Amino acid sequence: MNIKCEDRDRIFEDGTPAEWAALEAHSANCGLCAEELRTWKSLSTTAQELRDYSDTPSLWPRIERALVEQAAAGKHRAERWRWLSFGRRFSLGLQTAVAGALVLILTVSAGWLYWHGSKLVEQPNHSLLKSPALAEVERAQVAYEQAIDKLAVQAKPELEKPSTPLQANYREKLLVLDSAINDLRAQAGMNPSNAHLRQLLLAMYQEKQQTLEDILEEKR
Amino acid sequence: MGTMGLALPWKTRISSVPREREMRVEPSEDLKGRPSQTVAPPAMTAAPSEDAALAARCRAGDLAGYERLYAMHGARMKNVARNLLGNAIDAEDAVQETFLKVQRSIAGFRGQSSFVTWTYRILINTCYDARRSRVRKKEVATEDSDNSPRPEPRAPGAHPALRMALERALASLTKHQRDVFLLYEVEGFHHAEIAGMLEITETASKNTLFQAKRNLRQVLEPPRGNSAAGAR
Repeated sequence: MNIKCEDRDRIFEDGTPAEWAALEAHSANCGLCAEELRTWKSLSTTAQELRDYSDTPSLWPRIERALVEQAAAGKHRAERWRWLSFGRRFSLGLQTAVAGALVLILTVSAGWLYWHGSKLVEQPNHSLLKSPALAEVERAQVAYEQAIDKLAVQAKPELEKPSTPLQANYREKLLVLDSAINDLRAQAGMNPSNAHLRQLLLAMYQEKQQTLEDILEEKR
Repeated sequence: MGTMGLALPWKTRISSVPREREMRVEPSEDLKGRPSQTVAPPAMTAAPSEDAALAARCRAGDLAGYERLYAMHGARMKNVARNLLGNAIDAEDAVQETFLKVQRSIAGFRGQSSFVTWTYRILINTCYDARRSRVRKKEVATEDSDNSPRPEPRAPGAHPALRMALERALASLTKHQRDVFLLYEVEGFHHAEIAGMLEITETASKNTLFQAKRNLRQVLEPPRGNSAAGAR
């Protein structure tokens, strides 16, 4: 193999045994390469001065003690958490069935929360009436309805045969109000605890009362 | 830097010593037959079956397995740690911590590298952690910012002056260059093993060693111009 001085650094970095041999042969006739080669090898030789494999008798006993202590601590920790691994005693099929049941329960629960939760979100202002309050509202509503019915009886003649266009308009308005009242009562019947529906119903009753009073006023 | 200007008369003071390594690509013809002045490194790596058996014993929690590991590599591990950390006390602590880490994480050892290489990787990382911790402590104590390990006096060797000069010269290298130089030239590891320990490629290991030796030569070699002038 023919080696030149320019190849020296490359061989120092990553030369093959054959290249090293060729470099040594080249160095026999090249003073500069011989010097560089000697210096390079001397570094390796000098490095051995940093090698001290003298024994430290106390080190292994110290390490052994630390290893024993760590192993004991690990065992203690493992025993404390052993109860978590009780499931391993059951067969894989049983574990799968239990896991499936848990997933099913979680899915059903999540679905229930989703549907009921979404209804609550859609009606954020619809507070629920509790039983005693609901009974009181229903009693007041019945009394209110009866009072309005009495007014309606008094205004009935004018409404059956309206003598003026205004009375005819009143009649139309009362028909619309009665229709709305019937719808709201139907909804309130399905959802009796919904305070918002009760308030809407009250507003309709008040409007009907006002309309009936206006009719009676005009009659006078 | 304290190492600048330090020069060694290579021809007269450095003697060549045979390298007791196998499969290392370096010339040795002209070194053969000369007496070794230092203790030879322990067997580089155990045979694959022995390495696997050692790993299995340690995984099983067999203390004798750890003792065997220590018997095979303890002295070298301590030497690696001392050269990385600069003193024997920190080195012994690092070796002990390495054994504890091996015991803690042996269950996660998958055999992607040899067990011994894996152990040395843990040792080197432990030394890095110790060095970082020491630098932090230094910063807190507002001492000087020199974070290179300060070598402590050792047992006298064949060339104490030479060793001290080399230790000072090593301080001028980058951390990476110093580590590769120590692992290859002092501890006798192969580039493949160093690559596994430092998590670099084999080529990077070779290149880093070359840079390290070139830099060391510049620091240690007497300026040629001055020598010539002095001779005149």
